[in-house]
Amino acid sequence: MIKTLLIIGVVCATVLSGTVLRGPALSGTILRAQSQTQPAPAGSVEKGRLGFVRVGCAQCHGREAQGSPTTGPRLGPNGLPYSAFARYVREPRLQMPPYTEKILPDMELADLYAFVQSRPKAATPPALLSSQPAKQN
Amino acid sequence: MVDTIKALGFEYICANPGSSFRGLHESVINYGGNEKPELLTCMHEESAVAMAHGYFKIEGKPLAVMAHGTVGLQHASMALYNAWCDRVPVYLVLGNTLDATLRAPGVEWVHSVQDAAAMVRDYTKWDDTPMSLPHFAESAVRAYKIAMTPPYGPVVIVADSELQEHPIAEHHGALRVPQLTLAAPPQADSGAVAEAARLLVAADSPLLIADRLARTPAGLARLIELAELLQAAVISTQPNSLPPIAAGRMNFPNRHPLNQTLRSVAAIADADLIAGLEIANFYGATHIFRDQLERTSRPATKAGVKLITITAGDLSLRANYQDFQRYVEADIAMAADGETTLPALIEAVRRLITPERRRAFDARGATLADASRATFERARTDAAYAWDASPISTARFAAEVWQQIRGEDWSLVNGNLSGWPLRLWNFDKHHQYIGVSGGSGIGYGMPASIGAALANRKHGRLSVNIQNDGDMMYAPGVLWTAAHHKIPILTVVHNNRSYHEETMHLQRMGNRRNRGVDRAHIGNEIDNPAIDYAKLAQAMGWHAEGPIANPSDLGPSLARAIAAVKRGQPALVDVITQPR
Repeated sequence: MIKTLLIIGVVCATVLSGTVLRGPALSGTILRAQSQTQPAPAGSVEKGRLGFVRVGCAQCHGREAQGSPTTGPRLGPNGLPYSAFARYVREPRLQMPPYTEKILPDMELADLYAFVQSRPKAATPPALLSSQPAKQN
Repeated sequence: MVDTIKALGFEYICANPGSSFRGLHESVINYGGNEKPELLTCMHEESAVAMAHGYFKIEGKPLAVMAHGTVGLQHASMALYNAWCDRVPVYLVLGNTLDATLRAPGVEWVHSVQDAAAMVRDYTKWDDTPMSLPHFAESAVRAYKIAMTPPYGPVVIVADSELQEHPIAEHHGALRVPQLTLAAPPQADSGAVAEAARLLVAADSPLLIADRLARTPAGLARLIELAELLQAAVISTQPNSLPPIAAGRMNFPNRHPLNQTLRSVAAIADADLIAGLEIANFYGATHIFRDQLERTSRPATKAGVKLITITAGDLSLRANYQDFQRYVEADIAMAADGETTLPALIEAVRRLITPERRRAFDARGATLADASRATFERARTDAAYAWDASPISTARFAAEVWQQIRGEDWSLVNGNLSGWPLRLWNFDKHHQYIGVSGGSGIGYGMPASIGAALANRKHGRLSVNIQNDGDMMYAPGVLWTAAHHKIPILTVVHNNRSYHEETMHLQRMGNRRNRGVDRAHIGNEIDNPAIDYAKLAQAMGWHAEGPIANPSDLGPSLARAIAAVKRGQPALVDVITQPR
């Protein structure tokens, strides 16, 4: 097993009862994780889609894993290796609830990973998201 | 009593009718002509107080509220606590019958109390129970003055039924209303201001964090002046909400190049000096709290950072309710009003700036502007993900609303929509954002937004309420109040069909105990049946549409709703959304 140091930009935040908690996410602070060269187990995108809702990922990250500024980052698509993904789910460093194998077996985790990785990249920002200055009153 | 209330300049008085203030009620509408104040019919005392809360944050003047001293105050108490935590003056007049021998048998006894204000004394600024009409006049004026001296806060006057209902006794002579002279707000000590200025000018990476700083538009202008003078980073946010949602007040334009709110974690970590300006939770802003099996807290700042606080909150601490947050180990602490102190601080800073420092400041400002620009660009890209998803993404929701209001004189009177408006809209006027509830007591949003819309009405502004579904159901009778009194407002329901924050709490507990999250919806879900908010609003006289789950339908629906608002009608659009 070859281990390399991975720097993953990660910031996750969870807002609970007026207290903002900084937690796991995929765009911000620095997470050091162990990367493994072995490929991700083959997971089912469709099972992952259902699991993403069932085990509560969608509550903070959105049903399409698109993320939310206040609760959890966008999860996919990205180049995050499966090993780093799995490690974070099992042992989150920040606010995300930890998922043990008992409540999220490895196979279901692989399904989640497959779903997340299958998310399409955003198209060019739609016209509504134009960066043109807003009309002033 | 009515002469005194009129002299204080109240435009409206909110009440759910009650027998213990029937004398005052009748005098307001007949002797007072139901003008200044005009009586607003409310369907819950919590709604009445929350309307006053929202009204103040637009108008800068308190509304009066009448309520029973017992059952009415108990209904009103949660909203009073919100106002207390949010430092908002609410002027509450309670009916009561103190003389037991004069009470009617039955209900009047259970609606009477020895010390009516006692139950809210922990979270009101002052109260009194006048024993005569001259006493009422003096205490009523004093109460107004106290409520309107920063730190602002709610006050209570108990109007005894005997005083309300009996003819004016001859022995009172000529009654008069004392002159009202508002106190000048407390300004910080000049020595402390000078030392703070010295530290700010000497700092390499000063950071200004503002929460409830800008009480008025002048506060916003002063913070811009100070920030530009120093080319300092600014965070305008709820300090306990990082990543940011929005501040307790509209302190600083969100798209100003010095605004680093969207990269607040980095800005806090980079700072060698942080000035907290009317921050309710400075400790929370400077620490990272982790809510896992073992709760931990560690500094978010680098070693040696200097901390300065300016807050009138230091002048209003109470022991019982713990809204004061953790103790801050500040280097300079000024117990003073932030907005009032800024001019002296600005002048002290200006005197110390050398040409060499000016060059350093300019370089710093350019770096901050680049960082700010990049974060907004990233936000625009992030918002495009799940653009066509159903339920509708919160980013799409925010973008669709912005598209409809951007050409109007708009005012976001409630709601944060997961922080997307801060990322996608353009806030640069004081009335465009009025903050949050203060006490995080649910049930604030709908009535407070209607109170704010009442204040915006005379200015011709488009009031926008992004309304959480759970919050809306606390006292939906306020919908009728808005329709009855023709208060125009656009309410867009952020309907995720749950008390979603609590769902996340349950997930945390379930996983921490290794039981999973499959059942976290129990007790938190608002579904089966799904509430039809449009029908609810229609039943109370609103233009209402929805539920809307197709993002393509949202824009046209909003346009129709805004057209109704422009005709003077309250309007609601129910939007089925992603959880966050």
